[in-house]
Amino acid sequence: MKLALQAALAALLPATAAFADQDVKINFAAEIGGHPFACDATFTDIGSTGAAVRGTDFRLYVSDVAMIAADGTRNPVTLTESAFQHDGVALLDFEDGSAACANGTAPLNTQLAGTAAEGSYTGVAFNVGVPFEMNHGDPTTAPTPLNLTSMFWNWRGGYKFVRIDMVPTDKAASGPKGWFLHLGSTMCKSGGKTDAPAAPCKNPNLMAVSFDGFDPAKQTLVIDPAPVVAEADMRSNTPQTSPGCMSFLNDPDCDTVMTKLGLPFKDIAAGEQQLIAVR
Amino acid sequence: MRSAARSAAVSVILSGLLSGAGFALDAAEAYDWPLPDWMPRPSVPEDNPMSAAKVELGRHLFYDARLSGDGTVACASCHDQGRAFTDGRQVAVGIHGTHGKLNAPSLANVAYLPVNSWANPHMTSLEFQALVPLFGEAPDEMGATGQEARIFATLAEDPYYAQAFAQAFPQQPRPELFTVTRALGAFQRSLMSFDSAYDRFKYGGELDALSDAAKRGEQLFFDHRFECYHCHQGVLFTDNFKREGSPWVETGFHNTGLYADYPVSAPGRIEFTAEPGDAGLFRTPSLRNVAVTAPYMHDGSIPDLRGVLAHYAKGGREGHSNQDGMIVGFTATEAEIADLIAFLESLTDKRLLTNPDHADPWPKDHPARLKRAQP
Repeated sequence: MKLALQAALAALLPATAAFADQDVKINFAAEIGGHPFACDATFTDIGSTGAAVRGTDFRLYVSDVAMIAADGTRNPVTLTESAFQHDGVALLDFEDGSAACANGTAPLNTQLAGTAAEGSYTGVAFNVGVPFEMNHGDPTTAPTPLNLTSMFWNWRGGYKFVRIDMVPTDKAASGPKGWFLHLGSTMCKSGGKTDAPAAPCKNPNLMAVSFDGFDPAKQTLVIDPAPVVAEADMRSNTPQTSPGCMSFLNDPDCDTVMTKLGLPFKDIAAGEQQLIAVR
Repeated sequence: MRSAARSAAVSVILSGLLSGAGFALDAAEAYDWPLPDWMPRPSVPEDNPMSAAKVELGRHLFYDARLSGDGTVACASCHDQGRAFTDGRQVAVGIHGTHGKLNAPSLANVAYLPVNSWANPHMTSLEFQALVPLFGEAPDEMGATGQEARIFATLAEDPYYAQAFAQAFPQQPRPELFTVTRALGAFQRSLMSFDSAYDRFKYGGELDALSDAAKRGEQLFFDHRFECYHCHQGVLFTDNFKREGSPWVETGFHNTGLYADYPVSAPGRIEFTAEPGDAGLFRTPSLRNVAVTAPYMHDGSIPDLRGVLAHYAKGGREGHSNQDGMIVGFTATEAEIADLIAFLESLTDKRLLTNPDHADPWPKDHPARLKRAQP
């Protein structure tokens, strides 16, 4: 319906519109420890104790995508509406629901697709996460891709911006069952855990990512959690805290992690984000 | 408003399709679920569109013990409306008193579940699932194997069915595998349950619909100390969900550490996949109406909600190498446990338990009901 309307409007508009748009396609790849992510693969030498892990989930939300021109100006990318892209938010999904990812979904999405004003671009910028205005609604009625239960915390917390779950192959029977990286907003003040906050969260934890030298036609953005968890032990977890790092301030397992996502954590300053790199 | 406009649109589409195909229009009497505005509609298989006639026929079949080998077991024998379509027993009991291996799951809101089984990931439609209780032999449930011709002939002689199959399936107006399983699927898809105290509180804006204890329990349920909601999440309180108009089919199977070695009688998803990582994995059940569906777990091995919470507090009863990472154990005060249980009790939808649309349609002395075992 909406598409038909847009097509009809486009036909009515004169072809001499001031600015033409150009297609933008940005390709992503998922890796763990430098090896392509797959649900049936084992990845070695991960974390501070060099654990072998399987990946059981690998999904993240991206928003506020912009192309950067040589002079540093940013032109927003209008993401094309699809099952994976809605109103400027995209879900990147590298798990196919098979093998270790059996609680996932079959469709994959490894690319952002949209349009930007015609121009010569030398870089790209985006946020990892869901903007506050869209982050705390009712997921039961939310449009796809914001209607996935596995990406949801609760209304106060909003969505998991990043869900990368890793499970050591030699985990101890009495130890933690996995190391899960769940990034999302924290300290969101509201009446209850299933009430949306009225004001932005104290720690939005949106990762602002930009690359000045990026050619979408030739290069790929590689997402790899290994550098982020380099100082974390995949086989251990601080008792009485969430397994792995789920962004919560009470969790010492996040101390070495959040800074490598380019985010401040408690009194630990933000470092350079190490989750995504250009190749 | 939205619902009325929608059914009008659906009827226009249906009448266009059906008149072209030469169907009688009354067969496709538009069906729409009495759902609240906030609840999206379920998806429906292409070969089994909903109709009021089909749902009503399915209800009669659901309560008809003549579908079993000896006329004693109906679907309703293990799925009692008053218990949210469960049976109150540890494991289901079939024909000749045969004990099954698994606890009879609730049928509330099954239309939204992408997998209709505790452990079999391939059981993706209610139509296919119906064949298991009817014809399964390990264990025997309804014991109809090899007797379908006789059973369908018996049903065809009933004056109600003579008229009802013709109305629901004008092109194929007989009791047979296709029509019986489709009607049973349509009836089960009508079993909606979204009128609990919690729904009135959370979605209906009735702030006094929940007790203070249940309100405190809600905060604990959604707390990461307890981690309940990581698997029991979303509107059904399970990570299994599909809906109309969404590309996602979400399934969630987990090992909750009930056993260090799961018994061969109910080993989990490994029974169907042969994957060692699937040992002890079972589908997350919805928590809607959980207070009336005791006993609990896939094998009914925990008698009450207090016992279930104790199992999770311990971080798994026995523990297992495949145990889900979210089951980390917790300490809770007696008052917190009482609050959590008050919250779980607020998920009971009394209307589902008494709705006459879902009730036994047969008179007491009718052959469909006369010899029928009750849970």
